[in-house]
Amino acid sequence: MLSTIPKSWNVKLKPHLFCPGCGHGITFKQLGFAIDGLGIQKEITMGVDIGCSLLAWNFLDVPTIQTHHGRTTPLLVGYKLVKPKRIVISYMGDGAAWGIGLQNIIHAAYRNNPVTVIVINNENFAMTGGQSSYTTLPGTITPTSPVGKSPELGAGFKGPELIRNVAHKDAYIARTTVTNPIHLLSTLKKAILAQKENNNFALVEVLSICPTNWKTGAKASLDMAFEMEKTYPIGEVK
Amino acid sequence: MIDTTKIILAGEGGQGIQTIAKVITEVAAEQGLDVSYIPVFGVEQRGTPSVAFIILSHEKIYYPRFDSADYAIILQKRAVASVLAYINKKTKVVFDSSTVSVRDLPDEAIHSFGIPATQIATEKFTPKAFNLIVAGKLSRVLNLDEDQVWQKIEKLLGKKFKTPEIKEKSRQAYLSGRKYIFELKDFSRPTFQPATGKIIIKNAEKTAQILPERCKGCGICIVKCPVGALKFSDTLGVFATPVPEIDLEKCIACGNCFRFCPDGAIAVEKNKKLK
Repeated sequence: MLSTIPKSWNVKLKPHLFCPGCGHGITFKQLGFAIDGLGIQKEITMGVDIGCSLLAWNFLDVPTIQTHHGRTTPLLVGYKLVKPKRIVISYMGDGAAWGIGLQNIIHAAYRNNPVTVIVINNENFAMTGGQSSYTTLPGTITPTSPVGKSPELGAGFKGPELIRNVAHKDAYIARTTVTNPIHLLSTLKKAILAQKENNNFALVEVLSICPTNWKTGAKASLDMAFEMEKTYPIGEVK
Repeated sequence: MIDTTKIILAGEGGQGIQTIAKVITEVAAEQGLDVSYIPVFGVEQRGTPSVAFIILSHEKIYYPRFDSADYAIILQKRAVASVLAYINKKTKVVFDSSTVSVRDLPDEAIHSFGIPATQIATEKFTPKAFNLIVAGKLSRVLNLDEDQVWQKIEKLLGKKFKTPEIKEKSRQAYLSGRKYIFELKDFSRPTFQPATGKIIIKNAEKTAQILPERCKGCGICIVKCPVGALKFSDTLGVFATPVPEIDLEKCIACGNCFRFCPDGAIAVEKNKKLK
């Protein structure tokens, strides 16, 4: 039978809550395939953070917990200490990961806690209306930067490169993009296996698209995601 | 003549509730009325109720809130709960009969009038123009000048009219809303519902499956198709946006649409050969 979705998706609650063309949906599709491919749906516990990522609280048919402001990672670290056989996935946006909750990821990476962190980088604070964030590229027009973001405010925050400097030597850190689902799938699989087989910290940053807040159509959104790859290079950071 | 008119507009974020409210209040203010307009909505981009409280008055307005509305305009089923407290037996309730059933309205709504705005907009104009139909009818009811209202719409929505064609269609939608006459009909069932079920297309080599109940019309599959086998059709999906249709003669079953679709609404597969 031909199926349009991965088996691990929660079919009853579809269509999901994300906007049309959202990069979260593309990421979750590949995450679903990664979970299906590894056959670990019954071992997964998800944690979602504040922002658009919390709309994923019923996305996969797995136990899910929601906390605020980057504390998903330490929460799941504690969960993993109690239940070492579970595989924990901490799912958040760039606001939670690189802004308000940065210290949590730094220490989890430093201690090499076995947790897989997936960070969706869509270059803005999407849920509150697309305001300029640290990952916004200079010159981008947003509601809080009406003439384009000033280059003085930074050239784009490179989270994985920062974490690389403090992370344990065995940690897996990579960046991928929704414009290349095959690379996305293989990276997510590696990140889950790093935790499952070697008990290592894994961090994946996914460059995503946000047609609602970028105010772009399908083609322009994907083109803009290709532009992002010049600032945020794709591949394994460590 | 009634000196004060109290209006409540309710719908969902993204439907244009606040735009209609701005048009009405600004035109009324230009005509010399005293106006008050309070928008109420959350920080979310879509999916939450958006409500506008409007008062138009020939006298001075001392307090902008009110406890019972003269007109309640309801454009979305989920928004009914947020206006329950403001509807009494004298309130004239206008609802989008293409998506809201009269059964969804509270018992107090004795004077309820349906206007199938979504259906008219989709069939005759563009689906997005449905709020202009409502704005047209409301401005007529409130005796606001036809040209003045259109000029205000043009000013507020000018950027969204990317081509003269869209602008003309929007104007036609607005005028048709102005001319619309409420009918006595059975409004117990919404006249417009998005397509449901599965669209399965088969030929000797391939099988394609499209689910309109999941498709949100983002168009990523069309952009990502390497051979141009996909294009928008007339079928409508969950957000009343067009659903793609597939030309299996051109399709090479590469699976790109399936891989990219964020909503899990499309899949193409090569048929298994029987031995």
